Amino acid sequence: MTSITSTPIRAAAAPQSSSPGRRRSKRTWPFVLLLLGPGAALIVVFIIVPAVYGAYLSFTNTQLTGFAARDPKWVGIDNYTYLLSSSDFLSSLGQTGQFVLFSAIIGQTVLGMVAAILLSRPWVRGKGLWGAAVLMPMIVPEVVASLTWASVLSNNSAGTLNRLTGLFGADPTSWLQVVPMVSIILVNIWRGVAFAMIMFQAALEEVPVELIEAARIDGARALQIFRHITLPLIRGPVFLYLLLTTISTVGVFGLVYFLTQGGPGGATRLAAIYIYQRALQFAQIGIGSAASMILLALVLVLGLVYVRLSKVEV
Amino acid sequence: MTASVTAQAIAPVRAFRRRPLGPLSVVQRVLAYTLLVLMVLFCLVPFAWVVLSSIDGHAGPNVQLPSLSFDNFVRFFTSAGTPMLLVNSLIIGIGGTALNLVLGVAGGYALARFEFRGRRAFMFGILLIRVIPAPATIVALYLIMVNLKLTNTLFGLILVEAVLQLPVTLWLLKGTISSVPMELEEAAWVDGNSRLQAIRRIVLPLIGPGLGAAAMLTFMGIWGDFLTPLVMLQSQELYPLSIGLFRAFSDHNHVDWGLLAASAIVYVAPPAVLYTFVRKHLLRSSLGGAVKG
Repeated sequence: MTSITSTPIRAAAAPQSSSPGRRRSKRTWPFVLLLLGPGAALIVVFIIVPAVYGAYLSFTNTQLTGFAARDPKWVGIDNYTYLLSSSDFLSSLGQTGQFVLFSAIIGQTVLGMVAAILLSRPWVRGKGLWGAAVLMPMIVPEVVASLTWASVLSNNSAGTLNRLTGLFGADPTSWLQVVPMVSIILVNIWRGVAFAMIMFQAALEEVPVELIEAARIDGARALQIFRHITLPLIRGPVFLYLLLTTISTVGVFGLVYFLTQGGPGGATRLAAIYIYQRALQFAQIGIGSAASMILLALVLVLGLVYVRLSKVEV
Repeated sequence: MTASVTAQAIAPVRAFRRRPLGPLSVVQRVLAYTLLVLMVLFCLVPFAWVVLSSIDGHAGPNVQLPSLSFDNFVRFFTSAGTPMLLVNSLIIGIGGTALNLVLGVAGGYALARFEFRGRRAFMFGILLIRVIPAPATIVALYLIMVNLKLTNTLFGLILVEAVLQLPVTLWLLKGTISSVPMELEEAAWVDGNSRLQAIRRIVLPLIGPGLGAAAMLTFMGIWGDFLTPLVMLQSQELYPLSIGLFRAFSDHNHVDWGLLAASAIVYVAPPAVLYTFVRKHLLRSSLGGAVKG
């Protein structure tokens, strides 16, 4: 331990809290390796290597069981050509696209923005309570979130949603059978409103009150103020939010799998569920990995688009 | 000298208008409160079934007035399979969080206090990891775990869960440790403490809030995870609550609704309690982004 006791360095009186105390000498390496090494190594083994190994697997016919399990062969881009000509996979990508667009980019964003704006009004009472209620869907584990909706979307006449529509004279519907995609989109909106609200609340707090007041004095209406002053000012956080929510919505698995397991008839087989079923239920690791790579590539492209858009001048 | 570190941004004061409300404002307010009520109903009504059925002696698949009884909870803790689910969840959650924090404090300290080649690239890299959706790597991760003979073991799952949450923890703790003035540590060295002693006596006590936030985020992430245990565990006696609930629910013919609802309440309780502790901290900082996922 004595080697760790070392001469104190005179900290530069830098205002930035991040810089003082760092040393640029070869003697830092043992400390860095000792402290950061284990964590970094584990991140490599369990996060980086799977991504790279997955890319390799996607060019093989690896299976969990059977001949190909013992002796996987290099099959080039066969898995990719198979997937890109498979109507099952293409429709699963399409469903993922719909799911992301309608639940995350439209639903969560709009409702989250409405909630954030309402709760930023200075005269609204009980902000803590309203906010806490909106947060509930986010903090429960996804399995519980699905379970709560199983009762709402229940197909018998006493299901919560059927009782509600019954008030307007509609016949009971088995929602997860008749409109499965709409149902899971609704569930995911419900789950994600809070996250959008938090992100937008933080962004709105940064908007100077003086600007809003000045516009109001100039006779601008609330919608005009939002469109021409608030929205441009919070553009960065909004795109950051869109990036984060797109990534996490592409990764949604349990919430939907619990309710539908991809059914009925593959109508809610999002890409994440397709990968799981292919690779781990049908044991086709190669094809599942290729599907993963395609999904990953799409997310990266989307991410780049968001980053570009967020920097474009208003 | 530490003034710049501790200086807090002064919160902007909201302007209150004191003039009497015109009819337009009244309409606006009624509309706003109506929207708020609708939104809160949307957010809370789905919970009605779980809450009411957990205390209902004759619970069914639908919302109904409960015949008040705590029988479901008694059965949860006394029946053959369910207590094991809770124990497994606790082992995975607490074990994974502990491992994650040990790795996170050590790594965060190195990132905060040492300048070394590749530090910025490393920080950027672990931020980029967030872009990878979990389902995209789970297949290869599963094969790697098979080769390491770590599938279907709680240890293997704990290891994976701790590491999956590590990038966020490293970012968080790097920031928190950076904000502890280096001068305090130096003073401890001058007083004869070794570097490790200084970390234990000075740094750890001062990063309490950040450490707590990291611990709770990690715990909640691991506790709520469904995909990883679903893929990694095959033996029923190793299942955590998430998988147990899923299996119980998918057993279409013999769903014990009351027991299911009580299990869900037991499963929700830890993150709900923890969240009330961290909520203020989370809303104040930009950690919001770390909660989702």
